[in-house]
Amino acid sequence: MPIEIPKDKWPGSIKSITIGATSAEGGTRAKIITIGGGTTMPYLQFDAPVLSGDEAPNKPVIAIEIKSHKPEDWSPLLAEVWGEAMSDPAEWAKKAEEAGADLIVLALTVDDSAEDAVRVVKSVLSATGLPLIVWGPGQAEKDNELLVPVSEATKGEKLVLGICEDKNYRTIVATAMANGHLVQARAPMDVNLSKQLNILISDMGMPKDRILMDPTTGALGYGIEYGYSVMERLRLAALQGDAMTQFPMIVTPGFEAWKTKESKVGEGVPEAWGDWTARAINWETITATALVESGADIVVLRHPESVKRVKGAIEELITA
Amino acid sequence: MQHTISFTQHDKPTPIVAQVPTNTLLADAAHIAGIDIGQPCGGQGRCGRCAVQVTGGTVRRRSTLRLSPADVEQGYALACQTVVEGDVSIFVPPQEKIERRLTTDRVVAEVTVPEGYEYLQDQTVRRIHLELTPPSMDDQTDDWSRLQIAFRQQQNMERVTCSVDLLRKMGQVLRDGDWNVTAVVDVSNVIQSGESNHTIQLIDLQPGLVDEYSPLWGIAIDIGTTTVSLWLVDLVTGRVRAQVAEYNGQIARGEDVISRIIYASKNGGGQELRQRVLDTINSLLETACKRVNAKAGDVVKATIAGNSTMMHLLLGIPAENIRLSPFITAVNHPPILTARAVGLNTNPEASVDCLPGVASYVGADITAGVLSSGVDVADDVTLFLDVGTNGETVLGNRDWLVTCACSAGPAFEGAGVVNGMRATQGAIEEVWINSDTFEPTYRVIGGGKPKGICGSGLIALLSEAFITGILDKAGNVNLMANSSRVREGAHGGEYVVAWGTESESGEDIVLSRVDVDNLLRAKAAIYAGFTVLAETVGILLESVSKVLVGGSFGKYINVEKAVQIGLLPDMDWSRFEFLGNTSVKGAYYTLLDWRKRERITEIAKRMTYIELSADNSFYEAFTSALFLPHTDLSKFPSVAEVLENKQADTEKSTHVDK
Amino acid sequence: MALSGIQIYKMLPQTNCKECGFPTCLAFAMKLAAKQVELGSCPYVSEESKKQLAESAAPPIRLITLRANGTEIKVGNEVVMFRHEKTFYNKPGLFLRVKASDPDLAKKVAAADAYKVNYVGMDFTLDGYAIEADSDLSAAVKAVRDVTKRPLMLIANDVTLLDSSLGLLAGEGTLIYAGDSSNYESLADVAKKHKATLVIKSDSLDDLADLTQKVQAKGVEDMVLDLGGKNLGEWLTRSTQARRLALKSNFKPLGYPTIFFAAQNGVEKEAVYAAQAIAKYAGFVVLDTFAPEMIYPLLVLRENIYTDPQKPIQVQPGVYEINSPKPESPVLVTTNFSITYFAVANEVEGSGLPAWLVVTDAEGMSVLTAWAAGKFDAERIAKAIKGFNVADKVSKKRIVLPGHVAVLSGEVEEELPGWEVRVGPREAVDLPAFMKQALN
Repeated sequence: MPIEIPKDKWPGSIKSITIGATSAEGGTRAKIITIGGGTTMPYLQFDAPVLSGDEAPNKPVIAIEIKSHKPEDWSPLLAEVWGEAMSDPAEWAKKAEEAGADLIVLALTVDDSAEDAVRVVKSVLSATGLPLIVWGPGQAEKDNELLVPVSEATKGEKLVLGICEDKNYRTIVATAMANGHLVQARAPMDVNLSKQLNILISDMGMPKDRILMDPTTGALGYGIEYGYSVMERLRLAALQGDAMTQFPMIVTPGFEAWKTKESKVGEGVPEAWGDWTARAINWETITATALVESGADIVVLRHPESVKRVKGAIEELITA
Repeated sequence: MQHTISFTQHDKPTPIVAQVPTNTLLADAAHIAGIDIGQPCGGQGRCGRCAVQVTGGTVRRRSTLRLSPADVEQGYALACQTVVEGDVSIFVPPQEKIERRLTTDRVVAEVTVPEGYEYLQDQTVRRIHLELTPPSMDDQTDDWSRLQIAFRQQQNMERVTCSVDLLRKMGQVLRDGDWNVTAVVDVSNVIQSGESNHTIQLIDLQPGLVDEYSPLWGIAIDIGTTTVSLWLVDLVTGRVRAQVAEYNGQIARGEDVISRIIYASKNGGGQELRQRVLDTINSLLETACKRVNAKAGDVVKATIAGNSTMMHLLLGIPAENIRLSPFITAVNHPPILTARAVGLNTNPEASVDCLPGVASYVGADITAGVLSSGVDVADDVTLFLDVGTNGETVLGNRDWLVTCACSAGPAFEGAGVVNGMRATQGAIEEVWINSDTFEPTYRVIGGGKPKGICGSGLIALLSEAFITGILDKAGNVNLMANSSRVREGAHGGEYVVAWGTESESGEDIVLSRVDVDNLLRAKAAIYAGFTVLAETVGILLESVSKVLVGGSFGKYINVEKAVQIGLLPDMDWSRFEFLGNTSVKGAYYTLLDWRKRERITEIAKRMTYIELSADNSFYEAFTSALFLPHTDLSKFPSVAEVLENKQADTEKSTHVDK
Repeated sequence: MALSGIQIYKMLPQTNCKECGFPTCLAFAMKLAAKQVELGSCPYVSEESKKQLAESAAPPIRLITLRANGTEIKVGNEVVMFRHEKTFYNKPGLFLRVKASDPDLAKKVAAADAYKVNYVGMDFTLDGYAIEADSDLSAAVKAVRDVTKRPLMLIANDVTLLDSSLGLLAGEGTLIYAGDSSNYESLADVAKKHKATLVIKSDSLDDLADLTQKVQAKGVEDMVLDLGGKNLGEWLTRSTQARRLALKSNFKPLGYPTIFFAAQNGVEKEAVYAAQAIAKYAGFVVLDTFAPEMIYPLLVLRENIYTDPQKPIQVQPGVYEINSPKPESPVLVTTNFSITYFAVANEVEGSGLPAWLVVTDAEGMSVLTAWAAGKFDAERIAKAIKGFNVADKVSKKRIVLPGHVAVLSGEVEEELPGWEVRVGPREAVDLPAFMKQALN
């Protein structure tokens, strides 16, 4: 006798969101990317009504993180694999594209002036046709100082500007609204705080198809369980119809995993940790896999080998 | 087309007439006629304060929010939302009358003597007359035996006992009254056991036969962490003759119970805190007695409610174990003590009944609250909230009672807020803000210049600042708002409610970012407390039939605004009752009736205390409530509607501006 | 269905007799609902209520215990689909697969068995070994049993072979792989004889359910499911469906733990496959590669996913470096409640100002709560400063206390002679301004 599989029917879905604009749409991107659109918990297509072409959820994409200046504090393993390109953001972006990135994250630094920031962003935009996410250095004043001119200089490109946090979101949201960009909204590993920030940003009038939420995840061994559950809960809330959690999620396992001692350090660590390079890549890959399983839509990575493996996992997951 | 509008004001007999075209707002017409109809909310139909009565002619009401169908039937209309369509006659009623019509305010019911109070049956303290046979050379009975004989023969009181102090003055009193004396006795042992052979305590002895029906004084006290309240009661009639309250003198040594406990554990700290609260109580006692020309020393009975920490500190009992795991009190239900032992300036023989608590964080203030609110005898599931420093909550009915406490802080009592104050003369107790100009309209208790803002004023102010967009949902002050009242202050953004030119002190009265945070935390803790409590026992909040709100933050609370800030759940306003200080009320009931004392003991036994910090659910609920009104707006449909209307309004006016 | 506290309360005597050790019947009922106490503690509960309560407590996924001489592993007994709904209880067993034909068999197992890795104070190891019977199974079992005390899994189809090998493991709880439609009867018999747990394998849930019922009819209660499938997507789907049937439909034929082979599509995918299996409901995960650089992160993932989310969120006590502090940078002190830590760390990080952030062990409580409960006092602060050797890292011995515990400053000074004690702001948001103005 055939078993009847209990199905979860959900009233809500994740918003489909497009990043990047082609010349026809007022930008210069060769390729644009659409994410989101999920109507079930991640990859449980058997729960979804029959799907036809356009309604199918978009698969998660991989972004590679590059910086405007060669980062001195990154693991030597990363310096080894990217080589000289790390000193030239445009070159780095090209290599990232070759490594399989679907889009680029460019992180500006505190050493950039507003003019530097605009110049670097433009050079990356000309070096690659991929959509672009631009992060400020993570200090409120400096973020606003850099992101506003970048936003204005790239009007119409549909960049993602980040990172909005509850104490500093107004300026970034305002400039993104005025110049046709999207924003990345980050809250510290808490369903309520994520939702609250989304509400504050929406209340400013930001269209709902231009917000990405960044739940902050932690790395494997360093709090990933909170990030993992927060993401599952946000996804569940979205599917249950809560409009303020229906934004695609961007996660940064590359940043999280590569700051752990397990990835960063090769010497003076326990023998039971095994081979450094393999361990570091496993750390990034397993962190990313867990986040993909819990609903990530954009996965920001750092090592090309992790990109390959996580892409492979995503391909298998969407062909159930 | 022009119409004739005739306005009759309640205080002026002659109507004033104006000519206005069709579709003129009544408010504008009144302005043309030179009549000022106040519009605290800026003419948006939010506050309902501009209601007038249409006594003749045709008008069109755009909105009747705040008016009941019966009001409309009687011709009431909001001047800011109603346009003329023909010749119209208008009556402008007095403002107080309008405010009374509005359905959202909850005023504490006057305290009435419990129905059926019988001094001679319910009261454990009695005043009796004794007429003694004078001694003689033949009758060499000693004074005390003589008195006991009179008790036995005239009052059927077998075993009367007294203190040495009374023995010291007894001889003089007997002789001053020429062997006629009035005794005040405590008969609780006899009444409660129903057997006459139990001990009766002699409390006072006065010369002569004092009028049996003249007042016999008792006091009911609530020792709050922030506020101490005292009611002076005539035990004969049962009437409350004076109600007084003051901040607890211990505040100078810490705002919350934990700070007090720690302070008390330090060298001499316990003694100091005990003295401080005794000073507060005794000074309140003095004030209350003065009002009715009584003497503190004539008070013969006291009943005290208060949280467990306050009770320990009052009695000078070490309280350290209350805060340390596993959180055990020294005593939940102290035996009956004397005023002498406790340190009250009443008659030193007066019995002092400290009411029973349940646990470290659920004290006698809550059992007294349950008693006075009647949750323990309710048929339907009832929620009782004490909007006080410790945010105690009780949920239950006649079958079961659960309770929890959460640290809300003193914000709603006006403490810990820059311009906060208790709900007394000079406190701003209500605020409306015009959402176009951000100009406030406020009401001050007593009507004079404002000195500060009390709890209900803070609730109103927070709500208005939020609804008008001065604050975003996270409580950030929107410094882009176009008003000189919104400015950068010492602690971030702030809003000026009253300029120095209007205030008593000459300083600006402001709502600061820190105040907003304190208020948000307080309301979030209380909201999270009762939602998690309900969840823990598996009760849906919607199924709660009544929400009883206690708190010492004023005589009045605007339920709508308390809902708008997410302090109270968004349900039919008719389900809310505001009970004021339920703790002192419970103490008052117990003071009067010995059966109430048995009931409160039973309540303490029945209550199940739920520890909220046992898992993450309280923290979750707290974070999600730390937003205006709440992270989940769908829990507050009425607020969502107000915000939508506001949004639509803004869009309309922006459109017109262009 | 799990009952609520009030529902259970209604089945209790409601006398508040306190003999169970709780102040009221309702308090006891709520502990029962939370499964923190046994019904037996109530001396007066009726037989009828006992029966009802027992039914509501039956686990929807059977608890399976594998054991050897001295070690055991339990899997199953799970009650939720998502860990935040309650918690995942029993961590999946990580088994290493070895071949009976491997000439280095004993050496390999011995090496793997010696593997031990420490993660935040806990030692993790592998849980057992799966022996594939590609040559003499009995000899392999003997060789392996000589070098490990952990439970075993035998991969074989030959019943006689299994029978004799299991005979060598008398008294143990062993896992047999695997019965399918062709051989379940004979395998069920041998499993029953040796009190072993039998894996049932099929590519279809329908067949699987059919098989488990047949095996159960033969007297075997302990089973594990191999759901088949060819890639991550299929495996996620099947494992979700089986779990849902067990939990939501209370479908007993699939109410068993599952097993997953992580290297089935090649060792290069092993880590990712195992990661998904750990996160998504596997009861046993079988690895083919013994590689510490893979096993360590998988053990950590398993620990993370199976951490009880209801427990207060804590961060590791220690000294955290924010914005690359230098010896002259200030030392800030806070508690190990994660939200508190994040609030402080984020504010300081965002300001760009370097600092040493000392996180004390306050049992996961926020500053005020911990202080109230006596978990964040001068003594504990001093212990952290000394224990983490903060003095060796800094040139300026100056610590900043949270403003909420200003009252502690005097005692901290006494506990930490030679240190300058400063009181910072009450709220983390005011830290950057404080650090700029007051600390320069």
